[in-house]
Amino acid sequence: MTLLASFDWHFIWEHVPDFWDGLKATLKVAAIGIGGSLTIGIVLGAARAHRVPVLSWLAVVYVEVIRNTPILVQIFFIAGGLTQIPGHPIRLEPFTIAWLSVMVWGGAYNTENFRAGFEAVPARYREAGLALGFSRVATFLNVTLPIGARIALPSSINTYVSVLKNTSLLTAIGFAELTNTAYSLESVSFKATEVYFALGVTYLLVVWSLSALVRVVERRLLLPEAR
Amino acid sequence: MPEWANPVAHYMLHDGLTATLRIAVYAVIGSTVLGVVLGTLMTIRFLPLQALIRLYVEVWRGLPILVTIFLVYYALPTAPAIHHRFGAITGASIGLILWGSAQVAEATRGAVQSIPHEQHEAAAALGFGWVGRHRSVILPQALRRLLPPLVSLLANIIQNTTIASLIGVTELLATGQRSIERLQLTPPGDSHAFAIYGALLAAFFCISFPLTRLAIFLEKRLV
Repeated sequence: MTLLASFDWHFIWEHVPDFWDGLKATLKVAAIGIGGSLTIGIVLGAARAHRVPVLSWLAVVYVEVIRNTPILVQIFFIAGGLTQIPGHPIRLEPFTIAWLSVMVWGGAYNTENFRAGFEAVPARYREAGLALGFSRVATFLNVTLPIGARIALPSSINTYVSVLKNTSLLTAIGFAELTNTAYSLESVSFKATEVYFALGVTYLLVVWSLSALVRVVERRLLLPEAR
Repeated sequence: MPEWANPVAHYMLHDGLTATLRIAVYAVIGSTVLGVVLGTLMTIRFLPLQALIRLYVEVWRGLPILVTIFLVYYALPTAPAIHHRFGAITGASIGLILWGSAQVAEATRGAVQSIPHEQHEAAAALGFGWVGRHRSVILPQALRRLLPPLVSLLANIIQNTTIASLIGVTELLATGQRSIERLQLTPPGDSHAFAIYGALLAAFFCISFPLTRLAIFLEKRLV
């Protein structure tokens, strides 16, 4: 009971606008990251599934490097490492670092999701498309993509949720997203319980509603034979 | 190896890697024990218990690990009922255990439910109680299915120990960053950030890649 009695609800209420600003930055970065990782996933996933020379080998290296290294180190490498390349320093804006790092991370996981999805499309569908006179690209766009993307949907959605959660790590480079907003608020107010409780609830609301939304989309996009 | 690199490598491997592995060991053991127990309990058909564990799993899987670690390390000690400060390594380990145990619980539930019902009945007919039945008959069989996700979890936990640097643990990433700052402040002032962050990526890759390969191999062999 003492926990509830001393909990400063008024403090949280007062700082709703701050949390809202942080949430907006988080959602903006996550949206760009998710859009980018969708594109990377479709392109490189298709290259992997159809064994496009060179591109599919590069995709393997990209996927394995990103999946086997911590995203926090990747963020620091992009933010701090690239600025120190001997000869050709690359300096990026904090916002660019933010969306770029979560996009590169999500793209690697999504490449695997879409590769598995495209490979799960029965070969006879593709053969039927080619037999009807569709070119290879047209067969991919009209047959493999619509079916394979739906097979890949549940796993790619997990990746999008992770992309959103990973934006919290951008607080390490001082990017003012949701977690960073809470951290700054805590360091001036010392109200750690209130601030981090509100932070946790905000993330859960966003993550849970994203998952719920996704389940609706999933049901609507269900393949006819699975219905 | 250039002259600047020797002390840096020694510092990172001696201090940094030790802390990284310490957190990883705590987190893996804690997550596995807690997760297997919770996951097994989740298969009991008792709605309030199922709902409670489901809430636990969804909360710790839903929160970013960094937020969980902040909650454990900063918010928990200030809660009036607790009033207990613990070290950063403990805080990071608890945060990773909350996340990891949620993952293991979900995997365990699936693995236990995949064991045919006859196994339960046969064990019950032999006179095993609920605990004995699960410990001696069900879980050893479920372990085959559980092993690949546990190896993946180990790889993920080792990667996620880097988040501990954000609450001040001097693990591998933090030792790298301190080296960069120190090199920047000492003449000739070259931070070697590109080389050090690159080496960090390589080091984590060397640890993680064999583990993810092993997980794929086990999945093909065991399931």
